[in-house]
Amino acid sequence: MKRILSSVRDGRGFDIALVAFPLIFLFVMAGLPLIYNVVMSFQEVDMFSLGTFSRPFVGFKNYTDLFALPETWPILRNTAIFVIGSIAGQFLIGFGLALFFWVNFPGASWLRGLFLVSWVMPGLVVGAIWNWILSGDFGVLNFILKESGIISGNIFWRSDPHYSLYAVIIANVWLGTAFNMILLSVGLSSIPGDLYEAAELDGANAWQRFWTITLPMMRSTIGAIVALGLIFTLQQFDLFAAITSGGPNNSSNVTQYWAWDLSFRQYDFAKGATISVIMIVFVMIASVVYVRSTRHEVRG
Amino acid sequence: MAIRKFAVLGALALAGVSLFGLSAKAEDVTISVWSLDRDIQPAPNLVKDFNKLNNGIKVEYRQIQFDDVVSEAMRAYSTGQAPDIIAVDNPEHALFSSRGAFLDLTDMISKSTVVKPENYFPGPLKSVMWDGKYYGVPKATNTIALYYNKDMFKAKGLDPNKPPKTWDELVEDARKLTDPAKNVYGLAFSAKANEEGTFQFLPWAQMGGGGYENINADGAVKALETWKTIMDEKLASPDSLTRGQWDSTGTFNSGNAAMAISGPWELDRMMKEAKFDWGVTLLPVPKEGAERSSAMGDFNWAIFASSKHPDEAFKVLEFFASQDDKMFKNYGQLPARSDITIPATGEALKDDALKVFIEQLKYAKPRGPHPQWPKISKAIQDAIQAALTGQMSPKDALDQAADKIKAVLG
Repeated sequence: MKRILSSVRDGRGFDIALVAFPLIFLFVMAGLPLIYNVVMSFQEVDMFSLGTFSRPFVGFKNYTDLFALPETWPILRNTAIFVIGSIAGQFLIGFGLALFFWVNFPGASWLRGLFLVSWVMPGLVVGAIWNWILSGDFGVLNFILKESGIISGNIFWRSDPHYSLYAVIIANVWLGTAFNMILLSVGLSSIPGDLYEAAELDGANAWQRFWTITLPMMRSTIGAIVALGLIFTLQQFDLFAAITSGGPNNSSNVTQYWAWDLSFRQYDFAKGATISVIMIVFVMIASVVYVRSTRHEVRG
Repeated sequence: MAIRKFAVLGALALAGVSLFGLSAKAEDVTISVWSLDRDIQPAPNLVKDFNKLNNGIKVEYRQIQFDDVVSEAMRAYSTGQAPDIIAVDNPEHALFSSRGAFLDLTDMISKSTVVKPENYFPGPLKSVMWDGKYYGVPKATNTIALYYNKDMFKAKGLDPNKPPKTWDELVEDARKLTDPAKNVYGLAFSAKANEEGTFQFLPWAQMGGGGYENINADGAVKALETWKTIMDEKLASPDSLTRGQWDSTGTFNSGNAAMAISGPWELDRMMKEAKFDWGVTLLPVPKEGAERSSAMGDFNWAIFASSKHPDEAFKVLEFFASQDDKMFKNYGQLPARSDITIPATGEALKDDALKVFIEQLKYAKPRGPHPQWPKISKAIQDAIQAALTGQMSPKDALDQAADKIKAVLG
């Protein structure tokens, strides 16, 4: 007892406690559900066995059953397109806006603040609004495209299997751009100004300055944004629920929406868990890539 | 001084109330009721009325959200905290009764003077049954029929008193009524990839001699081909594939669709929004004289098998059933009973529509009942959507659905 007390007083035990509490917290709040999820993917689970732990183990049956379904590969492909398309769109537009506001014209910070409105809005509200904008017969987007002569007939964004996934991507890009812009703005403002002065004296043009100073200095910010973007797009659910419900015929279905549909609409909790496990694997691969890509970074 | 006096008085009053409350609790049996009804809908009001009777049974009401009904109930049941009474959507009733979660009410019903099976429409009654026994009491019911815009019929030279009776007539009329220049579609319905799509398609399959057990029957294939014709020729908005019934019918109300397949839950809204003369007719059939069918919606009451006071809970259900005659007048919902004549509301459009819906209810068939209904339903939705988007032929799509359903039925 005395030893423990003294160890707390001399600081060593305190250090351990400081590390232990968050670790225990993390394990209970994130680790256990994760393990539970993996275990569930190897069991047969239905509505009534959800409350108990004694469920029959079925090995890899959930996995083999899942990959035997005709919709599995298209949905995985949709997920990849959705993630890549959303991140690319959010990042490029966000970076463009961040660079634009970096010029710091009068009222720039005000305008930049206004852009945050889209980030503050709940996903379901954004989904409902885009649902109207993208509606085929009376949607605003079709009206604009038609009036400006880009298309001649209405595009049924939500109901045409060729467009439905892109309809959700457009809405998601709109939703995430502001967040990207703010983080990139922070990154930009942390680049010391004298670097640019020196480069200018050496005769570097705007493009060269961007390529050799801005981008390398932004490397960690960009890495963080892409990693966060991956997480945010993989958990994007509201927009699918509000705009297409994954339809028509799964053409805009993605793993996260499918997992929900299997678990809570068809009550096949084991398959829902199986898809979640597959998603976890993808996120882990992505995070390993992210950590490795920023490992050699020079800080400070 | 004055303040202290008030405080003492207040304390006394509080003590009195709580004593009173305690004494009331000591003799009363408490029955908990869960449903998704809001304050303007039946359940909470019926509970209030029941508690006014002061007959030694006290009912507590809890509102749950539509999407949570099943998961919440299931969680509560598996942890032993289920309510005594719950209202569930009718296709989900079998899920609980087949697993013994709901109480078998057969004996109670046979002795009851209020709840009599013969008074109910066959469809809703079948949805509370499992293995020949009664596991609940229908709460209310609804169905779908064809709304049509009489003014548009006149404008296009069609007889406004002769709405389409068969599938061919429906498609033919829709062709005449569709007017892209004016943004008018011939028909509005929902083929959404959720229960609503199944709800709208299944009656068509049943009229064609199919059903969930033989979803690829020739008549059902014909039904899906008819739907495909309607979509391919743009007689209905392509957005029907992703739009629910409420939004689809909205386009009818605003004059952008000449006909709409929807239910009586739209009547109040339509009375307010639709600025034209409209009527309701029975769902068109494959050909003259063919067997009719219709979808059947709305919820059922059930008592959980874990209830400690099944007899008192059944008394509560009996009270609810005894109030069925006021359902339409007070809450705009149709009782699931054939022995009740609903009094006229005095609004001609609404009263005429009501007659059609009551007639249509005679043909309403439940979805299932089957404990795996959600999976069966999903197979049907996938088939509808695969065919309507042109990714599969109606025949192939329904064959695939039949295979999936066969796997579920085992």
